[in-house]
Amino acid sequence: MSELSIGLLIGLVTVLFLATGMPVAFALGLVTVVFLVIFDGFYALQFLADTMFGGLNDFTLVSIPMFVLMGAAVASSRAGSDLYEALNRWFHRVPGSLVISNLGACALFSAMTGSSPATCAAIGKMGIPEMRRRGYSADLATGAIAAGGTLGILIPPSVTMILYGIASETSIGRLFLAGVLPGIMLTSLFMIWAWFLCWKRGEGMSAAGQSYSFKEKIESLPKIGPFLLIIVGVIYAMYGGLATPSEAAGVGALLCLIMVVVIYKIWRPGDMWHILRDTTRESVMIMMIIGTSVLFSYMLSSLYVTQSIAEYIGALEINRWVLLFFVNILLLVAGCFLPPAAIILMTTPILLPIIVNAGFDPIWFGVILTINMELGLITPPVGLNLFVINGIVPDVRLPVILKGALPFMLCMVVAIIILCIFPEIATWLPDTLMGG
Amino acid sequence: AMVGQDAMAVELKASHQFPGGKGDVRDEMVQIIAREVAAANVGLDIKVYPGASLVKANEQWQAMLKGQIDITAFPLDYASGRHPEFGATLMPGLVKSHEHAARLNGSPFMQEIKKVIEDAGVIVLADAWLAGAFGSKEKCILEPADVQGLKARSAGATFAEMWAGAGASIVSIPSNEVYNALQTGVANATDTSTGSFVSFRLYEQLSCVTAPGDNALWFMYEPVLMSKRSFERLTKPQQEALMKASKKSEEYFASESKKLDDKMIEAFEKNNVKVVTMSDKQAAAWREVAKKTSYKTFSEKVKNGGKLIDMALSVE
Amino acid sequence: MDVYVRAVAALSRACGVAAALMILMAVLIVCQMIFVRTVLQESAIWQSEFVTFILVAATFMGSPYVLLTRGHVNVDLLPLYLPHKARIWLALLASSLALIFCAVLLWDSVVWWLEAYEGNWLTSSIWRARLWIYYAAMPIGFGVLTLQYIADIYCLATGRDMPFGMTPETRL
Ligand code: NA
Ligand code: NA
Repeated sequence: MSELSIGLLIGLVTVLFLATGMPVAFALGLVTVVFLVIFDGFYALQFLADTMFGGLNDFTLVSIPMFVLMGAAVASSRAGSDLYEALNRWFHRVPGSLVISNLGACALFSAMTGSSPATCAAIGKMGIPEMRRRGYSADLATGAIAAGGTLGILIPPSVTMILYGIASETSIGRLFLAGVLPGIMLTSLFMIWAWFLCWKRGEGMSAAGQSYSFKEKIESLPKIGPFLLIIVGVIYAMYGGLATPSEAAGVGALLCLIMVVVIYKIWRPGDMWHILRDTTRESVMIMMIIGTSVLFSYMLSSLYVTQSIAEYIGALEINRWVLLFFVNILLLVAGCFLPPAAIILMTTPILLPIIVNAGFDPIWFGVILTINMELGLITPPVGLNLFVINGIVPDVRLPVILKGALPFMLCMVVAIIILCIFPEIATWLPDTLMGG
Repeated sequence: AMVGQDAMAVELKASHQFPGGKGDVRDEMVQIIAREVAAANVGLDIKVYPGASLVKANEQWQAMLKGQIDITAFPLDYASGRHPEFGATLMPGLVKSHEHAARLNGSPFMQEIKKVIEDAGVIVLADAWLAGAFGSKEKCILEPADVQGLKARSAGATFAEMWAGAGASIVSIPSNEVYNALQTGVANATDTSTGSFVSFRLYEQLSCVTAPGDNALWFMYEPVLMSKRSFERLTKPQQEALMKASKKSEEYFASESKKLDDKMIEAFEKNNVKVVTMSDKQAAAWREVAKKTSYKTFSEKVKNGGKLIDMALSVE
Repeated sequence: MDVYVRAVAALSRACGVAAALMILMAVLIVCQMIFVRTVLQESAIWQSEFVTFILVAATFMGSPYVLLTRGHVNVDLLPLYLPHKARIWLALLASSLALIFCAVLLWDSVVWWLEAYEGNWLTSSIWRARLWIYYAAMPIGFGVLTLQYIADIYCLATGRDMPFGMTPETRL
């Protein structure tokens, strides 16, 4: 049996196991067990414990629970609604101002957490009911938050980029910087779409009757102050010589905890436990998938499947843009079924050498990959952001959310195309600040 | 056709952490063995997994003992948690130059180390000692006093102790973040192999580097190893072909090892980084610091530790 | 059997609390490390290794709690399409398959832990920490995870739990 057909068989069995509805983490682990036993024999199983432990035993991964904790801490407070409320006082004359403010709040929040579901929950929990109350349709309100939440992994810090940095051995500091301008660009695209739709549908205009004096506008600013302070604090820690990107996550997490205690008066043990519980649930889920993806990759490498696929694609001699197109399609399909952590750890060892050989910049590709992962966060059946929104507004059905999210997903595709034409949007900032 | 099916069936897995197919000397050492063995036509096929693509760098020793891999090019100090004696193979000031390293290989000191390796069920296929350097963003590091107040990132525990003893503070950072840490100032000095100084592009961040020269302090033993069990499973002709290939690999390394240092000097000079070397006296001053720090701890914590260091120091 | 289900749930919760506290501890230690390094200008040696280990430990120990609270993401496309009865069978199959994996890893990690304990393995860092203490998190985590899956399967089979947490009315 050739390595490529083994690879195909592995893909098939993985889909079968995933389809049973067992947790993604354990499905990846079980596929590993099955194929190692078939091709290497039972003795190969004894290597699993240390392989999995070794895969997780990496200081760079430390930042993941911490960036998640930042999100969970702030999401437990009223900080999210303070954020879009403040923005709304400035934008209220614009059609769709509340949606635009919510998108802006998502972007700002993204600068504090590495996780998309956390962003989605933090802004959406108050934002979606508020938008619907003020006359915005359910599809736009939920779609905007589903999409805005995905900015969490594009605008630094980002769990996805940390994983890509580890898997591709590229600098995480550089990857973070590369995400800044594309993040701003994508936020702008989202806002333009929201503005256009509201203007066309005449939606949310009733709320525009409310007007704010200049004094009220100024008064709203201190509410976003703590956010800006934390963002500046983390950036200073990261780029000012205090800490490496992984360590800066710890600073950010502590600052966020202090902020919710001091400013939002959340300090009772019960409240604290909620923050810690949410952090534990999300980060353990991600880390467990990381652990079993390590097993999965080990199995693919041990059976020489990874190497054979890379050789096969490398020998295809196709145009580099055609290659990139197919890579994007592959990531998109994978994104439907798997969460970002699993996709990155499983595909990067195969894709990166091919991408680099085709003359693409690995940092730039990290950004393209991340936008693909953002799409995957909204596409069913496994879309973490969909789960979160379903938790916030159980009465809005999935097709409605998807209808609202679809145009925003097209914005992401547009962003990918723009980045292909102007790769400098991603590479300029890291090259300028960190040297070429 | 007479080679037979049982001979055809032997496939060995070789793993290392260095980049594959890009001319890395340690990758090349393993590739040479694989190529030579294949050319010998004894029914032996070695699959090389470079870049830690199968087993993580630190896990390779254990993986070899368990039979997960058969061969590895491995920095022996990584296994010093299992066999503390291996700490002596990344010990400041024990090896002075490449010529000295060659003499050391046959010395009683290395026989002692190899005995520990063999007792653990592993054989050495090819010896290799890699030289390293000190680099700093501030002033050149020549005397121990030069590191006073520096924030140093060290490749190994024994070196960290010596740095600390000379007045530097130690930061522990994973190797892939060293560049970042130097750039932002989390660290402002580091030690590692000359090859890593180049591959991590540290010349972009450092202002001065202390090259090995004739009075190097930094040497690390990174031999090509094989599990004894895997070796004994081979037929006589296969074993002979493997040993012959290993010999070739070792000779290749001997001819290349110094070029790694030259490459580093060239890269750093091209980027206007100052390159210096230590004098006898300066290196001796460092050894005095080591005596009070790394050597002392090693002698206390490792059975025979003091004896091992004395044996190494006595090699002329 | 009900006692078993309750006891295992309590055990999983206890592990979850332990994991949460370890994450909190990791945050504090990272900040302490930065403080020691930048303000006190002293060496920080044990922190990064220790933080890495407790977060790995938190992952394994937290996993049963995440299973208990349905936090491990899964693909529920097929379950949503199936009628309730078939869904129960599918859930039983899914849980049994996952149980196999957890049991394999439990066995594997116990053997590995014993090796580390008997060999008195240390880390190769300057800190020279004993590895069996850290490694213990893996057999404990997978042990409780295995127990939790057995409890889940029992609850599914006896109708105490809905398959995939979906009521008979839930359809796509
Ligand atoms: Na972010
Ligand atoms: Na998806």
